[in-house]
Amino acid sequence: MDIQEYFSLVFSDYTLRTITLGTAILGAVTGMLGSFAVLRKQSLLGDAISHAALPGIAISFLITGAKDSNTLLLGALVSGLIGTFWIRGIISKTHLKSDTALGLILSLFFGFGMLLLTFIQKQPNANQAGLDKYLFGQAATLIESDVWMMAIVTGICLFVLLLFWKEFKILLFDKDYAKTLGFNTKAIDILITSFIVLAIVLGLQTVGVVLMSAMLLAPAAAARQWTNSLATMVFLAAIFGAFSGVFGTAISASQDNLSTGPVIVLVAAVFVFVSFVFSPSRGLLFKQIRFIKNRRDLQLHKTLSFMYNIAETHDDISHPHEIKILNNFHGFTKGTLKKLVDKNYVILEGSTWSLTNDGFKTALNLYNQLTKKDE
Amino acid sequence: MSSAQIEIQLIASLVAIACAIPGTFLVLRKMAMISDAISHSILPGIVIGFFITQDLNSPLLILLAALTGVITVVLVEYIQKTGLVKEDTAIGLVFPVLFSIGVLMIAKKANDVHLDIDAVLLGELALAPFDRLLISGVDVGPKSLWIIGSILCITVLLLLAFFKELKLSTFDKGLAASLGFSPAIIHYGLMTVSSITTVGAFDAVGAILVVALMIAPAASAYLLTTDLKKMLILSIIFGVLSAISGYWFAHWLDASIAGSITTMLGVLFLIVYLFAPSKGIIAVLYREKQQRIEVSLLTFLLHLKNHDDENERHVNHLNEHINWQKVRSKIVLDLALKNNMIMIDDSIVFLTPKGDKFTTQAIDYIITNEDAQIEGMKDDFFLFRG
Amino acid sequence: MSNKIAVKVDDLTVAYNYKPVLWDIDLEIPESVLMAIVGPNGAGKSTLIKSILGILKPIAGSVSIYGKSYEKQRSLVAYVPQKGSVDWDFPTTALDVVMMGTYGSLGWIKRPKQKQKKAALEALEKVGMLPFKGRQISQLSGGQQQRIFLARALVQDASIYFMDEPFQGVDATTEIAIINILKELRKAGKTVIVVHHDLQTVPEYFDWVTFLNVKKIATGPVKDIFNDDNLTKTYGINYKVSIQE
Repeated sequence: MDIQEYFSLVFSDYTLRTITLGTAILGAVTGMLGSFAVLRKQSLLGDAISHAALPGIAISFLITGAKDSNTLLLGALVSGLIGTFWIRGIISKTHLKSDTALGLILSLFFGFGMLLLTFIQKQPNANQAGLDKYLFGQAATLIESDVWMMAIVTGICLFVLLLFWKEFKILLFDKDYAKTLGFNTKAIDILITSFIVLAIVLGLQTVGVVLMSAMLLAPAAAARQWTNSLATMVFLAAIFGAFSGVFGTAISASQDNLSTGPVIVLVAAVFVFVSFVFSPSRGLLFKQIRFIKNRRDLQLHKTLSFMYNIAETHDDISHPHEIKILNNFHGFTKGTLKKLVDKNYVILEGSTWSLTNDGFKTALNLYNQLTKKDE
Repeated sequence: MSSAQIEIQLIASLVAIACAIPGTFLVLRKMAMISDAISHSILPGIVIGFFITQDLNSPLLILLAALTGVITVVLVEYIQKTGLVKEDTAIGLVFPVLFSIGVLMIAKKANDVHLDIDAVLLGELALAPFDRLLISGVDVGPKSLWIIGSILCITVLLLLAFFKELKLSTFDKGLAASLGFSPAIIHYGLMTVSSITTVGAFDAVGAILVVALMIAPAASAYLLTTDLKKMLILSIIFGVLSAISGYWFAHWLDASIAGSITTMLGVLFLIVYLFAPSKGIIAVLYREKQQRIEVSLLTFLLHLKNHDDENERHVNHLNEHINWQKVRSKIVLDLALKNNMIMIDDSIVFLTPKGDKFTTQAIDYIITNEDAQIEGMKDDFFLFRG
Repeated sequence: MSNKIAVKVDDLTVAYNYKPVLWDIDLEIPESVLMAIVGPNGAGKSTLIKSILGILKPIAGSVSIYGKSYEKQRSLVAYVPQKGSVDWDFPTTALDVVMMGTYGSLGWIKRPKQKQKKAALEALEKVGMLPFKGRQISQLSGGQQQRIFLARALVQDASIYFMDEPFQGVDATTEIAIINILKELRKAGKTVIVVHHDLQTVPEYFDWVTFLNVKKIATGPVKDIFNDDNLTKTYGINYKVSIQE
């Protein structure tokens, strides 16, 4: 199946439609909430939480024996929250730093989860198959009820987000100030964190424990480059996330042997790369162009002021001088001379140059600016 | 115990030691999450190396994969330098991307060969003794044992050779640089060692256990000591202890050895986290409670010293005016009485000469911010003990 | 200055990690003064403000604003935090930040409307930042950022203003502009409390001063108590400051 076929089938084929819708919704909600994680400098928390959710899935399977994903995800939610608050406990009560706490909880919970999973696999219980998918995710196992679940949770997220928009914003920007205004910062904080955990847990089935953090970070990191407004950033992150989901699904469905999770992550990475390079205000490309342009301007100005110094010694500013004199000057090239001619600052005649009135005025201005700065 | 069992435990212990050494420095340098990133992002390096060598244990593969690890670090630092995203976001962006590339390469090309992501992530220690190293037909032991053994030897040699430099650059970057030890060389050297160790160990124990073995023993040791040498030794002991107990736990449960070792590490950390003598959570909470009482007592004494007015010094005033929120005034009052700091005469509280001297000293020391002086007072007066 | 007491601090003791940073502070700040809090580094100046504002929980003591607890009088108080306390790369514009000043009076959930926006624009105008209202905050100079913070406090339309080192990293023009606004506020009967570093400018800018170094050393009118004796007591060493008369 190629991409075109995919898009012609996506509306009619039940499986494709379900998966596409699921990954799109997932991308949107993780992008949205990921923006908050990124702005709170909690980027790696997502990685830790997703790993910490694994034992929860195993335990809830051991207790209930259920294979239905909602029950398992409830376990994941509980264990993800326990991991999150333990991380906080370690940071606030011991001298271990946040990176150590994150790495600890991440690896210890995950290892424990693996122990349980391998233990379950040895049990004579026919039901166990399918827990593996939480490791790397299998979008193909999404069914309609999963998508409904995602849609409902996303709806709730969106509602809460809009309802407490102002509170979230002020907490993220200036926590102490929010406190003086009388907002219960602890409550807002717990609310945001819980929703981030919820979004992560929701994505485990689709993209898996290992790649979940990228779903959270990539759309937000890309969106940040295009805007200076929080609302636009969250909106863009949701769009980027949703598109990563759709394109990722499309690409993986149109090729053999391509699992959906990694493809979605790579598509999201492309969004990040393009944003990092091509964003007009922050992008590396335009930064570099601005840098080069500034340097050129500087060179031009240097040459012009050098000419000014020479021309100044004559009563008549338009008196022609030999080009050779300029060779002694460091910043001079044929290119700069030509640019000065183009700008009508300088007239070339044979092997001589002379300043125009325009050129003289500009040089004078530059000169004044420079001397002013020195003062 | 069969020889395979002994070999497994030996491999696990060597891995634990090889991880504990760089892990200690990663924890101290606040770079623990880098080890997580490296452990994931070496995957494409492993896959490419595998395509070339067709042997998971070849040295070339290990070098290629370690190179990917170092590239990860460089890439993360480059993204951080652009200032486009906050520091740790860079880590979180780079490693899933590299890992995804690795996963897809396996899916596309390596389907028919024995390389699956489960093994990379989780390892299969139980199978390690079956891959033997044959030198001119003579069986000299499992390959993994030799690999991790060599890596450990190099790590130990490097540690002994550069201990002073490592220590200095970890605790005082500025000083190290001014003495002519380039922090960059130490930094990338450490990153290279971490990468090589991760690659060498992943085959046996999997990427996640490598992270656990790097961070958990060091973190546990850090809660018990701040002396670098002791911390290294403790980390190694913790690592080996978990490796061996983890093996037997897995044996009994018939489950993944890597998962079981990690679980043991977790149990160990939990015990240290709760019960470490001065930095464990119970000790911290107890000390905080003590300190709360101490500070309240000092506040109370200072209040008495500052106010001559009788109604400011009435017993009831403690409750009304000073507005104790956390400590009951009675505890403070009893404590002060017991130590002859105050006298109560007709419900009016007075400082005794001893209390007066104590208060004056305490204020002086706290204002001049001389912690050493306060330490001295702790010996003189019971209440600072803790 | 009237005789009313705007802020009253009683026996306030605050500790960070159970090390006392403020000890048994008694302080009465009269209404309609422009007061500087001075003291060496680590003297607890910011801590004093933060505990009055309820950001830090004191171990002992109480604070009242016009005779009632801070929780009840929140609407009377505005705060300008230290510049380093916020994330300047946050995706938000100057106008957005100033609008945050209205959030307190709005309370939970309610969104700012035209009325709040108008107030924010007026405040921006007052600090001379109206042309920059759409700028992302990291693209502003240090002085401009501080003006934005001041505008945000002005929007709160409070009676008491607390400012934590508003002149830190600020150009001379902005410093004068800010102090003029503060003087205006005092004239309008507001109380302004500023954590201040530059001792030279105390007599010129302020009419009231508190010397602080873990304990309160002295508090009162600048002309009465701003002398070498108190400076020495506060800064430890023999401190001399040339006071321009």
